[in-house]
Amino acid sequence: MRTVHVSEDIRLNGGFEEFVIESDRDLDLSISAEGECQAFFRILSAKSLRIRGHVSALSDVSLVFWNEGRQTLRTDESYEVNGNARFVSAYGECSGGMTDRSVYVALREKNAQAEVLTASLINEVKNYRIQVVNFAPKTYGEIRNFAVVLEKGKLMIDAIGKIVKNAKGAKSHQTSRSMSFAKGQSATILPELLIDENDVEASHAMSIGRVDDEQLYYLMSRGLTMKQCTALISAGYLLPVTEVIRNEELRTTLAQELERKIESL
Amino acid sequence: MKELVIKDLHAEVEEKEILKGVSLTVRQGEVHALMGPNGNGKSTLLAAVMGHPKYKVTSGSITWDGQDVLSMSVDERSRAGLFLAMQYPQEIPGVTNSDFLRAAMNVRRESPVPLFTFIRSMEKTIKDLEMKEDLAHRFLNEGFSGGEKKRNEIVQMELLKPDLAMLDELDSGLDVDALHIVARAINNMRKEYPLSLIVVSHYERFYELIEPQFVHVLVDGVIVAEGDAELARKIDQEGYDWIYKEYNVQPASEAAAKKRTAVSIGACAVSQKVQGRK
Repeated sequence: MRTVHVSEDIRLNGGFEEFVIESDRDLDLSISAEGECQAFFRILSAKSLRIRGHVSALSDVSLVFWNEGRQTLRTDESYEVNGNARFVSAYGECSGGMTDRSVYVALREKNAQAEVLTASLINEVKNYRIQVVNFAPKTYGEIRNFAVVLEKGKLMIDAIGKIVKNAKGAKSHQTSRSMSFAKGQSATILPELLIDENDVEASHAMSIGRVDDEQLYYLMSRGLTMKQCTALISAGYLLPVTEVIRNEELRTTLAQELERKIESL
Repeated sequence: MKELVIKDLHAEVEEKEILKGVSLTVRQGEVHALMGPNGNGKSTLLAAVMGHPKYKVTSGSITWDGQDVLSMSVDERSRAGLFLAMQYPQEIPGVTNSDFLRAAMNVRRESPVPLFTFIRSMEKTIKDLEMKEDLAHRFLNEGFSGGEKKRNEIVQMELLKPDLAMLDELDSGLDVDALHIVARAINNMRKEYPLSLIVVSHYERFYELIEPQFVHVLVDGVIVAEGDAELARKIDQEGYDWIYKEYNVQPASEAAAKKRTAVSIGACAVSQKVQGRK
């Protein structure tokens, strides 16, 4: 595990690497990835985080960010995905501070694929702007957001899938779901598809709402308290993001951390 | 001895009175069948006992093992030993059967059920109910067929071991084979301990398998007839008309229809008159 205190260039050449981001200044990270690799970033603190990522052709790269800081975090992330490469950006949000996150993914060459996933436990103001752009034919972009909005939480997601002209056979899909357990919690989701080509496949799905009373009744009729039902449903909603993590030990640890966080609410 | 005592229960849904004074006592180990035409209060009675928030009890009492059920929350009722196998079990995406059941078992115990013990009993129950092996890892009822959902209710019941189980039209959606599997699982539980049952079903076939000692017929929110298994057989063969005549009652739907006809005024009355001339 490596701690990142200052701006630096990170090269990922295969395998699994773990980083902790802990800094009181603006960080500028340049990440270049090649081959089959995964990196996990546990964010403890950073004034702002600017990431420029480059995924080489034919690579299979996943970056997992886990924000558990207490202060405000601003990110500006931009990734270039080249031919026949697969890129996954997974983000787990369980910090107590405000978050303002901007992600831009360019599917630059033919057959490039990217999935941008977020799972968020929201008890502060969180703004996400996620854009995946298909610049080349037969590229595949997918955005999936899952959020549980708690008391004092305010979520805003702007999810944009864009397909440029001549990106024939490109696919752009997105799903955003936000759930709350009480009245008065706020979530805004803007799903956008900007398509300038006819030969494409695109979809968006979105839901915002409270947990169904009948579902709660069903679970409670088996003896679970309201709090346990909330935790169980929230975990079911958010834990799938950890499945991206290939390192089993880390995956289990994060799942347990998230469960503990949910149960302590 | 744990017993459920319902006294003069009145309950309403969205300000419409459905139960109009039901009294029923279920002693430990007894099997009671609840029959009656659709829409006359059978499911409402079970939901009121379990504490569904939509069903408001306006008067009367329910006690279980001497405790006031109506002052308990839904989860407290469950932990006290009551169970309702629902007519329409909910689908809960994202929550696996195993996580849910383990949590439900743990709330009944002082220390959590060891993982190995849980897996073993879950596997046994899945086998008893002849369900697919991947049940534990599937999301709770999501994408299940009607029959699978009903069997999954009994999987839950077998693992949670309630003292009193209410089965709300458990047999609807089950084919003949599945009906036998479910009835066998329930009867095996009865051999293990004195499980009390309140069974709502329209079908004699299910009653033949479960063998109720008491049969109650609920018409328009009131128990109008009571008897033994012979009563269920008679209803199966002859329907409810003889009960309406013998006990001078009307089912809720007909009573409501009659009431509507009687209060017709204005345009409706005119059209009735016109139609009457034809």
